[in-house]
Amino acid sequence: MPTPLHHRARLIARASAPFSEFLGSFRANDLIHWLDGELGNHSALGHFIPHGRIRSRAIPARNILHIVSGNTPHGGMQSLLNGLILGAYNFVKTPSGGLPELEAYVDALPTELKSLVTLSPTIPDSWWARADAVIATGSDASMAEIQKKIQPGQKFITHGHKLSIGIIAEPAGKSLRELAQLAVNDICRYNQHGCLSSQAIYVKSSDQLSVREFANQLADVMAEYEIQNPRGEIDISSAGAISNARETYRFLAANCPDADIWQSADDTSWTVIYEQSPVLKASPLNRFIYVRPLPDDLSQLGPELRYLSTAAVHPFTAEVAESFSHLPASRLCALGESQNPTLFWHHDGYASIAELVSWQDIDLPM
Amino acid sequence: MDAIVDKITRWIGAPESDTETSFDELAIELFHYQFAHNMAYQNYCRALGIDTAEQISSWRDIPAVTTDVFKLAAHNPSSVDITSCNHVFHTSGTTGESFGCHYFPSLDIYESSILSAWHELDQPAISQPLIFTKNHSLSPHSSLVHMFECLRRSYAANTDDSIYLIDGDGQLDVDAVRRAAASDKPVSLLGTALAFLHLFQLMEKSGDSFTLPAGSWALETGGYKGSQFSLSKEELYALFAEKLGLQPDQLVNEYSMTELSSQFYTRGIGNAHCGPRWTRTRVIDPNTGAEVAQGELGYLVIYDLANVHSVSAIRTQDLAISCGENQFILIGRDPSALPRGCSRSAQESLQAAK
Repeated sequence: MPTPLHHRARLIARASAPFSEFLGSFRANDLIHWLDGELGNHSALGHFIPHGRIRSRAIPARNILHIVSGNTPHGGMQSLLNGLILGAYNFVKTPSGGLPELEAYVDALPTELKSLVTLSPTIPDSWWARADAVIATGSDASMAEIQKKIQPGQKFITHGHKLSIGIIAEPAGKSLRELAQLAVNDICRYNQHGCLSSQAIYVKSSDQLSVREFANQLADVMAEYEIQNPRGEIDISSAGAISNARETYRFLAANCPDADIWQSADDTSWTVIYEQSPVLKASPLNRFIYVRPLPDDLSQLGPELRYLSTAAVHPFTAEVAESFSHLPASRLCALGESQNPTLFWHHDGYASIAELVSWQDIDLPM
Repeated sequence: MDAIVDKITRWIGAPESDTETSFDELAIELFHYQFAHNMAYQNYCRALGIDTAEQISSWRDIPAVTTDVFKLAAHNPSSVDITSCNHVFHTSGTTGESFGCHYFPSLDIYESSILSAWHELDQPAISQPLIFTKNHSLSPHSSLVHMFECLRRSYAANTDDSIYLIDGDGQLDVDAVRRAAASDKPVSLLGTALAFLHLFQLMEKSGDSFTLPAGSWALETGGYKGSQFSLSKEELYALFAEKLGLQPDQLVNEYSMTELSSQFYTRGIGNAHCGPRWTRTRVIDPNTGAEVAQGELGYLVIYDLANVHSVSAIRTQDLAISCGENQFILIGRDPSALPRGCSRSAQESLQAAK
């Protein structure tokens, strides 16, 4: 006899399959294993299980308010997935410009799950009052505004401003072109609007690896990527930020050998900046990438490091990954895989499911 | 001093009827001077494919530099030896952000530009000024405070530092406004939008509202980016009416920046900013760099002949609609640009005082 949880997991897995681009590929069993990882044992949802010398069960949030940003669709969809697997009711505040992929996902849910979701571009007062947990994605300023609305006892999970980087520690058998082809996925998918998008690639200079030559090769690959996957139109403000940064770096490059610029002709489709300084700077986005030398002392990356989400590392071995684990990144992954977190990832360091439950104990052994 | 600097200084100071020399001639002559004396700029021009100054034949083709290049300490776009400069204005920088430097060997042309534009653009008479910034000696690197001080010295020479209403600790002197409101002489208020907003907050807290004497006016400048405030011009001007009894036609907005040496003014709401005859503007499409058609939105590029000591052509990060050769409707700061500006600097002073 399937439990409600197993039944829900099957429905979710089936409905999510066409949206694997945003949610990753998973089966019902993967969702159950995910809960095992988050809660210690999926059976804790609704049942008392041994917990040391006592017994405990996990009580999921009944109502979750998701405040979703329009940057990329997958953040909102993954947030909703967390609520659905718990069987919570989900109020979803969509961006003012809409989020078609999320709306399509909700439309594709079977009635049983769809009845657990309401989408709205505005937040009625009743949502604030009823939400046991609020999950919000947006700018730091938006987070501060939302914080003012949070009531005592409500959980508030924030996903504020974040950025990601790529790190190439050594070629490890890959050509510059192959490395650039890996990096371009991390840079160009979603046009750098998501927190998982690389905004700088750090390259360890060596006899086999020239940082500037990598930047040159990356420019070629960016141009090819643009032909295959055109970036599309951007608003005037975004184009202005790119052209302003380009002209500033052109001025710097004209006066100093420590900088160089490669760019698309006649438009702002893509830009590669090589700069000798290791200091991490936020990119103007929309396929504007910095290439910088990787310093031995990673604190030289400067204050922007505090916003680090993911470091996509090459070569990606346990040894190399752990050598960068002192970075304040909540995730280390392989170069080229930045945009593909697994179901098990801790978004911004949060336990996606465990944060959404509270525990009830019975002080008796099983 | 180079002949072109002298020539432009005299041209700016000359009456409007002096049409013997055209803007274009002076702009090209100044470009030749800056191309020859400003190596960082020359290198940039070369990177754009301009190898000789003779390749430029119209002011519209003079390469503009971004305001951010003034932050490049090792490659400042100065046309003079910066070690010989007695004056430097800084852009306001937030914590951790580098600030820009605009160097001047002399402020003669800078001050001439301020005073001639004030006269030429028919700005109101200054009477009993109250200035909502720290005083000149506390803000030696603020171009805005220098402008206010220049106006004070020329139009209100009998006043002293007491007319600067923000003290060294960032406290704003509301009582000075109360006293001015109680007098029967018109008052001229000059300050940043953020400083005025702070005044209105203090007045709200104390329950004050004043009606300034007839003939009073205010000049406000700067925006709110980077502060916790976000007000439309209509909302700000409604507060001027509510708290001080000043109507939109008694309110002047000044537009300039540390990287320029001239100012643009407008009065009321929805009107174009106008610059003096030694300025020109273009509004460009950021995708192509080409000028947009009149009435279309783009990025404002300013050509300022008073910028003799750096680069005459400055590319701003402000969105605008072109209305003529030196007129534009200001739409506002590009939302993707970093916080900056005089108003921000005043806000930091006021926040530090909290």
